[in-house]
Amino acid sequence: MSDEMKSSSPQTSGTEPSVSHSTVPIWIIVLTLVLLFLGMVYFDHHSGWFDAQVYGPYASTEELELYQPKSGEAALLARGKAHYDQVCGLCHGVDGLGKPGQAPPLAGSEWVNTKGFERLTHIPLAGVSGQLSVKGQMWSLSMPAMGAAMSDDDLAGVLSYIRNSWGNKGGPVTADEVKAARAALGAHPLPMSGDQMSKMPE
Amino acid sequence: MKNGFLVFLASFVVLGGSWCGFVLAPVLQLGGQQQTTILNSSDVYPVGRPGEANQGLQVYRANGCAACHTEQIQQEGVACDVVLTSVGKNPLAVTNAISGLKLTGLDSVAASAAVDSINAAGGKAEIHINATGPDITRGWGLRHSVAEDFLYDDPVQLGSVRIGPDLADVGTRRPDANWQLLHLYAPQSVVNGSAMPPFRYLFRVQNIGGEPSPDALNLPKGFAPPAGYEVVPTAKARELAAYLLSLQADVPLHDAPFTQPPAVSKP
Repeated sequence: MSDEMKSSSPQTSGTEPSVSHSTVPIWIIVLTLVLLFLGMVYFDHHSGWFDAQVYGPYASTEELELYQPKSGEAALLARGKAHYDQVCGLCHGVDGLGKPGQAPPLAGSEWVNTKGFERLTHIPLAGVSGQLSVKGQMWSLSMPAMGAAMSDDDLAGVLSYIRNSWGNKGGPVTADEVKAARAALGAHPLPMSGDQMSKMPE
Repeated sequence: MKNGFLVFLASFVVLGGSWCGFVLAPVLQLGGQQQTTILNSSDVYPVGRPGEANQGLQVYRANGCAACHTEQIQQEGVACDVVLTSVGKNPLAVTNAISGLKLTGLDSVAASAAVDSINAAGGKAEIHINATGPDITRGWGLRHSVAEDFLYDDPVQLGSVRIGPDLADVGTRRPDANWQLLHLYAPQSVVNGSAMPPFRYLFRVQNIGGEPSPDALNLPKGFAPPAGYEVVPTAKARELAAYLLSLQADVPLHDAPFTQPPAVSKP
């Protein structure tokens, strides 16, 4: 070290200072490597690997996934409400009370508050045509297959929503169960009449 | 010139390097942005602005609004609250289960653990995810801004100075076009002590001919024009107001998740 310092230090008098070769001190190399390592650790923890979906305060896609609203019952019902209000609510009402002469109520309906939901699932998939008694009142209906164009997830959400809203007490319906019902019905099911529906199992 | 080629090569590397860093890398990262779906819904976000609002973006630009207003909400952290939705059949067990638990300001793992222990006691609970940070506390938005928010902005006007409040979510905060017009004509008439200059040249003060105009502003005392005159917004003022109303960053997305408070849920 002292030799290097001597050789590279300017001369005190007389001649011009000159440059000579000397080795880089080892501590600079070590410091550089340590800083590089710390930089890589910081990058690993904070960059999110430049993923377009990752913003602060989230540090990675894994952490972002942790904070996604859970795909549990609450998410299913929220999804169901969004679709119900848009598609079903026009006739059945956002309050589920129906429209006189046009759509029977869903709130407190014996067709909704059932143990099983096989029959209920068939209504939006196939539609209803003809006479149907709801809450002691006779309805003459022609409901199109409003659920046929919905995805399994969306229809499961809607069915779960109507079975758990406005005082209704029924279990949730899963997308797999909707899928099975859709497969059982075939491609172009005919609308059901009230008589057919009463003969079906719940 | 001595070493001309070397000088050229060095400047090429320096400029090329900064171009890669400032242009190429961001385009690779965010250049392919598309509409995305809102969480727990099949609606897409964002939808394009209506024509009037789109012209308003140019009015916003021409009047230098971005010199004093930003359009970027910052978020510092995220906190989960556990909300009890049902006590089930054994309320005492649930009360015991939650008595020792912290239920607000949790991280995701702790919140899931709290929900699990409530479920074990027979109750039901939900996790509400909330963004935190000074901007959120000020009520400027519910989540941080994401690239999708600016999909239809040309140019994007993020702004860097906050002499006025952030406007990324102003359409949700102030959904009334009349309020926006009053605020543009006379900011102090609706916000006490506002530092914003009035943009009166976007309005016309005119003689009331026969019937008063239905568009005339309903200004409070001290700001109203003399009797017999009325203040009518020009097309530019209306476009700007439409643009401000279109600034709504209020839906949860995959890259900015949060739980929507029921009061703010839109029809």
